[in-house]
Amino acid sequence: MGETALRSICDKALAAVDGDQAEAVVIARNAALTRFANAAIHQNVVSREAQLRVRVVRGKRVAMVTTDRLDDEGIRRAASEASELAKLTPENPTFGGLPGDRGLRPAPSAFVERTADATPLDRARAAKQLCDAARTASLSAAGYVSTNVQELAIANSRGVWAYAPATTSDVELAALGDAGSAFAQRLSLDFGTLDVAGCAQEAVEKATAAQKPRDLAPGTHEVILEPYAVRDMISFLGSQLTGLAVEEGRSFVIGKLGQKVTGDVTLVDDPFDPKGLPRAFDLEGQPSERLVLIERGVAKAVVYDSQTAHRTGAKNTGHALPPNPFQPSAPMHLRLEPGGKTREELIKSCKRGVLVTRFWYTRWVHQLRTIVTGMTRDGTFAIEDGQIAYPVKNFRFTQSYHDALGGTLGVGSELALLVPGEQFGLQVSSYRVPALRLAAFTFTGATQY
Amino acid sequence: MLGSVERDLARRALDTARTRGATYADVRFVRRSVEDVLVKNGHLENVDRSDTYGFAVRTIADGAWGFAASPVLTAAEADRVAALAVEVARASALTKREGARLAAVKPVTATYTTPIEIDPWSMSFDSRVTLLLDADAAMKQAQPTLRTTRASYEIWKEEKLFLSSEGADIAQTLYETGASIAAESVGNGEQQIRTYPGSGGRSQNTAGWEYALKWDFVANAPRIAEEAVALLTAQQCPQDIRTSVILSSNQLMLQCHESCGHPIELDRALGTEAAFAGTSFLTTDRLGTFRYGSEHVNIAIDSTRKGGLGTFGYDDEGVPASEGWAVKDGIFVGYLMSRETAASMGKASNGTMRADGWSRLPLIRMTNVSVMPGSAGTLEDLIADTDDGIYMDTNRSWSIDDRRLNFQFGTQVGWQIKNGKRTTMLRNPTYTGITPEFWGSCDAVCSESEWVMWGTPNCGKGQPGQIGHTGHGAAPARFTNVRVGVVS
Repeated sequence: MGETALRSICDKALAAVDGDQAEAVVIARNAALTRFANAAIHQNVVSREAQLRVRVVRGKRVAMVTTDRLDDEGIRRAASEASELAKLTPENPTFGGLPGDRGLRPAPSAFVERTADATPLDRARAAKQLCDAARTASLSAAGYVSTNVQELAIANSRGVWAYAPATTSDVELAALGDAGSAFAQRLSLDFGTLDVAGCAQEAVEKATAAQKPRDLAPGTHEVILEPYAVRDMISFLGSQLTGLAVEEGRSFVIGKLGQKVTGDVTLVDDPFDPKGLPRAFDLEGQPSERLVLIERGVAKAVVYDSQTAHRTGAKNTGHALPPNPFQPSAPMHLRLEPGGKTREELIKSCKRGVLVTRFWYTRWVHQLRTIVTGMTRDGTFAIEDGQIAYPVKNFRFTQSYHDALGGTLGVGSELALLVPGEQFGLQVSSYRVPALRLAAFTFTGATQY
Repeated sequence: MLGSVERDLARRALDTARTRGATYADVRFVRRSVEDVLVKNGHLENVDRSDTYGFAVRTIADGAWGFAASPVLTAAEADRVAALAVEVARASALTKREGARLAAVKPVTATYTTPIEIDPWSMSFDSRVTLLLDADAAMKQAQPTLRTTRASYEIWKEEKLFLSSEGADIAQTLYETGASIAAESVGNGEQQIRTYPGSGGRSQNTAGWEYALKWDFVANAPRIAEEAVALLTAQQCPQDIRTSVILSSNQLMLQCHESCGHPIELDRALGTEAAFAGTSFLTTDRLGTFRYGSEHVNIAIDSTRKGGLGTFGYDDEGVPASEGWAVKDGIFVGYLMSRETAASMGKASNGTMRADGWSRLPLIRMTNVSVMPGSAGTLEDLIADTDDGIYMDTNRSWSIDDRRLNFQFGTQVGWQIKNGKRTTMLRNPTYTGITPEFWGSCDAVCSESEWVMWGTPNCGKGQPGQIGHTGHGAAPARFTNVRVGVVS
């Protein structure tokens, strides 16, 4: 829609508000996803979306209204409804007001015209490339090809104005045989450089090796985790490195800032990483700081949004998510710093262990101890004498993630750019993570395939 | 209900799609109004109202599927979106192996509205919020040491209009109401939670405000608060033992959702969710013969039952709501189907295609998939009938593999059962198993008086992601020789 159009929508909304303070946020998206399974496209969607969210403050009374009617009447109605609702709400004495303009440092561009111009036929051709690669190896293919354009605009009555357009393109392939499967994913801001062939090669080669998995007894094993699995660990741990998690007593770093909490790894939230999905501001239009959250195993910082910072007397680090009382902030540009070993060297250094491609259906068992349960999926292998020996049936694990990182034996030298699960539309987060070698990971059960 | 403006645009879009070469097209207009309110620690933390409104065109052209959506409600946009949906379908045909086929359905002109007693949108905002403030205060008053208290509700109204190139014209208005309270405690190296009436999110039904009132939050708040605090010093659940387990009604509903509701989705069984949600151990060759559970296990698929989140007049392909069985006397007998997947089985659709708003493609979703009551009496009767075991109440953690076999659940609280009596409170209870073995060990299901229609308003599926609202009735049930206590 462009900066001028979004600015106009925000200005009209702020002008129509009856309140002490107001905020207008517009998220505009043009999202397309071509999905295939059984080696054919079966779902193929294009959606144009744009929403305005108006937040109105009257003293300590706050209310929000969201609409996708962005004509003058729709904007006016949303502003008016939020204003009326704010009059009716009881006061929230902990509300600290909307944040003011703190200036923004420019971030690298995250917009690539070539991605915005991608057509249904472009995506279908990429899907066909993935399906054909699987078929050549006598495998079936399932996955997707996606291109997204998003614009984010934030304005408030205290002078905040922030605007950022962004593009992403990604492919995902599960290559499936009669008895075994494997998974690969690639993501790029630029559809023209999206590594579709590399994705196909990785999944197909691994799936070929994954056929006819054997039983391996559950228990505590040394593991090599591919970046897809590491992403899951970092996502869970990142969700606990927030001011709210500390305030609510459920973070593993409570009372431990400055202390060793895990192994020799460094976790950074870097909104300006040009190899990630950079964005200079958070969802309140506040400047997002680069923060070292864990440095060589020592807890250093957690992230804040304006309200959690106000309640707890902390500094706002500019990590607000869309207003959400259950998770108002999060580190959104996490990077687990690389080590010095290639993936092959990590495997070679493992005498006996398990290689895990990705985790599936991971859920908290106990947040304070960061205990998570989940399954392995799409490529699990036994490692013997520094080599991938044979595929094994999938495990259930029940494991404290920060305890597992406490036994870090090696960190991969290459970082994969991944998004936290599949996302459509507003992609607020990205991760850059390496493969890891961990001394102990507890598999508490196994499944039948 | 949506009216002539939307109907005219829908007809225009259908005409454009046909002109562009679509052999089938449907158009859905959806207007969804939602209000979410949260009281936390005595204060109104969040008031969030949304009104989303748009349309989507779904087409078959060159034997393949296309879909496009937009919130811009003009004639020109209807033309653009319809033409784009056809263009997308033609691109899909690049990989076509066989043409899309749909099971027949009689096109109807119809309307449907959720029956409600108290329209939440007509009452005062203040009276809704008061319910939360009172409940939150009752928790804090009972246990001032609680770290966090929450009380929340969601009210929902969705107006839908569906027109198809086959002649269907269906208008529906669906209402939902959900509410819950939560008490969280911290101490003794523990963080514990109790929620009511269901687990983490909300318990929700297709209903009016009467659903929020029925749970009597103020009366139940002290018990929930006290249990949350007691859990900090409760005995740890025994580790890695095998014993009998009685699951509460609200835990059994999630067990059903994960280990029966998802594997009976025919799209999963046919492989079209293989890369993301996964496939199913309930493969098509097992239909009608596979022993899913014991003879006590009867699981219904019923989108007509009052109150369920899967209750409606017609699905998003214009197929009427229906009743049937997924599991009868322990045997797997039925799938959740779309028109396309039903055609591949030579069957008629049972009407389970639903989309998350106007911008998403309809997918096979659970309607109301319910464990039907047995004859074991009340929960107290069932406990009295159990010599040794653990009663587990209200979900805290859930995970299952991508074929829906290996699962692990944790509940918020457990109680040891000794000689027919509920005794010691247990914290961090978990249990794990393999789906057909677990349901095969079911030896009792409580009677109709204990049966509750629960709602799951947070079921994720699909790429792009969609959140589905599904219904599940359940009564407490007992399972034998279950592996308990996976983690300390």
